[in-house]
Amino acid sequence: MAREAYREALADLRAAVVEMGEIVLARLETALRGLTAGDEELAREVIDGDDEINRRYLAIETDCIDLFALEQPVASDLRFVAASFKITTDLERVGDLATNLGRYTLSSRRQHLPDLDIDAIGERARDLLADALAAYDSEDAPACRVIAHRDDDVDALCQQASERLVRELLERDPKIDAWTLEALIDEIASVLLMIRDLERIGDHAVNVAARTLYVLEGDPELIY
Amino acid sequence: MSNAISEIETAGTDETGGLTTSGERAEEIQSEWTDYRLSADPKLSVENLNVYYGDERAIRDVSMDIPENSVTALIGPSGCGKSTFLRSLNRMNDRISSARVEGSVKLDGTEVYGPNTNLVELRKRVGMVFQAPNPFPKPIRDNVAYGPRKHGELNRGLVARLLGRDDSEAERELVERSLKQAALFEEVKDRLDDNALGLSGGQQQRLCIARCLAVDPEVILMDEPASALDPIATAKIEDLIEELAEEYTVVVVTHNMQQAARISDQTAVFLTGGELVEYDDTETIFENPASQRVEDYVTGKFG
Repeated sequence: MAREAYREALADLRAAVVEMGEIVLARLETALRGLTAGDEELAREVIDGDDEINRRYLAIETDCIDLFALEQPVASDLRFVAASFKITTDLERVGDLATNLGRYTLSSRRQHLPDLDIDAIGERARDLLADALAAYDSEDAPACRVIAHRDDDVDALCQQASERLVRELLERDPKIDAWTLEALIDEIASVLLMIRDLERIGDHAVNVAARTLYVLEGDPELIY
Repeated sequence: MSNAISEIETAGTDETGGLTTSGERAEEIQSEWTDYRLSADPKLSVENLNVYYGDERAIRDVSMDIPENSVTALIGPSGCGKSTFLRSLNRMNDRISSARVEGSVKLDGTEVYGPNTNLVELRKRVGMVFQAPNPFPKPIRDNVAYGPRKHGELNRGLVARLLGRDDSEAERELVERSLKQAALFEEVKDRLDDNALGLSGGQQQRLCIARCLAVDPEVILMDEPASALDPIATAKIEDLIEELAEEYTVVVVTHNMQQAARISDQTAVFLTGGELVEYDDTETIFENPASQRVEDYVTGKFG
C-alpha cells in the first residue's frame, strides 16, 4: 500500500507541475496578446494572476520536500523529484517574466520605434515552453534535445531585434525635440528589457527540457 | 519478501532476453562497470568467485575490487548471496561443511584461498562484526582483550605474573584505545569489569567492534551491524563506520539502502541468484544506476 501511495504521489507531482505549467503558459499568452494589442486589461489580468502561480509553486515545493523526507526517492525517482523541484522554479520565473511583459504594456506606447516583430519572438518563446512542458509530461527525450536547438533561433531573433533597434536609433535625425527624445529613451529601455525577457523565457524552456532529459537518461548534457 | 525476489527473477529474465529498449541500453552501459577497477592497488580483489552450498550456487561469477580505506556497501534482497560473499572474504564459509568455493580472493595480492593460508592470521587481518551483537558473557575488559590474549600478544594470568611477563599495563592501554576507537570508552570506563551482557544493544555492538579492532585488523567485515539497533545507536554505528574507514577497509552488508547511501563510498548490488549486477560509486548507484534491474530494486519497483 505504501509503495502504491508513493507511486501515486509521484504521478500527482507530475500532474501538479504540468497544471502549473499550463497556467503559466496561459498567462504568457495573455501577456503577449496584451502586448500586441496594447490592451491594458489583459496586462492587469496577467499581473494579478501571478499570485496564483506563486501559490502553486510553493505547494509543489512542499510536495517535493515531503517526498524527499518521507520517501527518500532514489535513482530515476530521485532525478524526477529533483528535476520537478527545479522545473517549477523555471515556471515560476516565466510567470514573473509574463508579469514584466504586462508592465511594459501598461507603461509603453511603442509609438516611436520601428516594428521589430516582437510578437513573433514571443510566439516562438511561448511555443518552446509549451513543447518543453509536453516533453516533461510525456517523457520525450528526443523532443528535449530539439528544444535546446530551437532556442538558438529565439536567441538569434532577439539579437537581431536589439541590433535593429540600435541601428535605427543611430540613423535618427539628431535634431529631435526634447520630449520625443525622452519618450524614445523610455521606449528603448523598455523594449530592450522586453527582448531580454523573451529571450529568458526561451532559456527557461530549455532548462525544463534539460532537466527532463536528465530525468529520462541521467544525461546532464543540456544542463548548464 | 519471497514475492519480491520472484519479481526480480522475472525482471532478470526479461533483461537477458533484451526485450526493452531501456533494458538494452542498460546492458550496453553495464559492460562499462563490469570492468570496474580502481587505479590504486585494491585491498581485496575478487575474481570469478563462485560459492556453492551443496548443489546450489549462492554466488555466481563475482569479480570486484575493494579499495583500501573506504566503505564498500553490499546491498540486495534477502537470499541474494551478499552475506555469503562477505563471509567468503575471510573464509568464514569454510566452517560450513556443504560450502564449496571456486575462484580467487586476494588480500593485498596474496591468495586467501591458497594452501598456505593461516586461517587464524587471515581472520585477524580480516575481522568480522555480526548482525546481532555477540559479546562473550565476560567482563567488558576481557571481551576486548580476548583476541590479543588468544593471539599471544598479551601475557596475562598467574603463570605470566610468576614469570614476570605480565602485560597488564599494555592490556589496559589496548582496551582503552580499542574502546575509544569504537566510541564506547566514555560510556563504560567506570565499569570495565562489569559483565558485557549488561550493556545496551547498541553498546554491545560497539563492544564487538572494539573487540574486532583490538587485534589490529586491516579489513572489517560487517554483516548488518545496525539492523538490530534503534536509530540513535544506529547513528553512532554509522558515524563509527565512517571514522573507521580512515584507517581500515570496511565492507558492510546492509538491508537499509539509505544507510548504504549515507555511509559507503561504493556500493555493490547483488540480486537473486548470487549475481553481482552493478558495482559503482555510491552516488551513481543511487542517482543514476546503469542497470534497469538495479533501478527497479533501489526504487522499490517490484511486487
